[in-house]
Amino acid sequence: MTLLLHAIADHALPDRPPGLRGAALDFVSAGPVGVWASTVDTEEGTRDDAFDHHRVVEAICARQPCLPIRFGTHVADAEAVRALLAGREESLAGALARVGRRRELAVTLLWLDAAARPGRGHAVVGPPSGRAFLERKRAAYAADEERRSAAEAFARRLEAGLATEQADVRHTYCPSAEVALSTAILAPAGEAEVMKERAVRVASGLTGVRAVVSGPWPPYTFASAT
Amino acid sequence: MNELEAEGLTLLELTDRLLHRGVVLTGEATISVAGVDLIYLGLNLVLSAVETIEQSKRKTA
Repeated sequence: MTLLLHAIADHALPDRPPGLRGAALDFVSAGPVGVWASTVDTEEGTRDDAFDHHRVVEAICARQPCLPIRFGTHVADAEAVRALLAGREESLAGALARVGRRRELAVTLLWLDAAARPGRGHAVVGPPSGRAFLERKRAAYAADEERRSAAEAFARRLEAGLATEQADVRHTYCPSAEVALSTAILAPAGEAEVMKERAVRVASGLTGVRAVVSGPWPPYTFASAT
Repeated sequence: MNELEAEGLTLLELTDRLLHRGVVLTGEATISVAGVDLIYLGLNLVLSAVETIEQSKRKTA
């Protein structure tokens, strides 16, 4: 048997949601914080387990402030949980106070012309040429730089439109050929839906991309003790 | 935007958060999901999840 860890909170609850695959959900206390965990029979998870972990974290977050723990974190028993938390209790309590009540939104911007853009491995017409190769490399580099600059401009527009503090936004620029920007936004407690509507409005005004706004979710991206 | 595409992107963003974000308590410990290395699992999981949605949409269409 092993404990699969779900989230950090500051106290146990009498009203506990079911744990992973319906297992009992236990709270392991360690000073000012503790960990919600399910007892499972194997460390190997499945795709369904990943989403069930999300369900458990959502259920905990609906009941109390919490910090989600990365899926797949297993420990042997309650003592091992306390050993992991040892020396980090205060910083985790601080993170819990900062973001534990807040919700996360995701804004994904997709290039409208991604399909029309030539790939790096596109066919070369004519005999091989070193100069042509270098010119293609230079053109590809310039195009990437242009994309990156555009993505950064989108990020600035989003931040301005949402009036968020920089600490509450995390951008990933051009994470793939199709995606211009993937942004995580930490919404104030109780304002996630309002902020989501605002994000949809701002993102839909950006040209050259189409937007998908997702969430609200537990604050996965911002759950850090550092 | 195509509703299916939006749903797939939402799954992708959520999966990224489940597998790569959240409090890290175990350092560099290897996490296995169905015996697949986590880095590769992320992509497979997203693709599988999107495929599943597409299949269910086709069935209900």
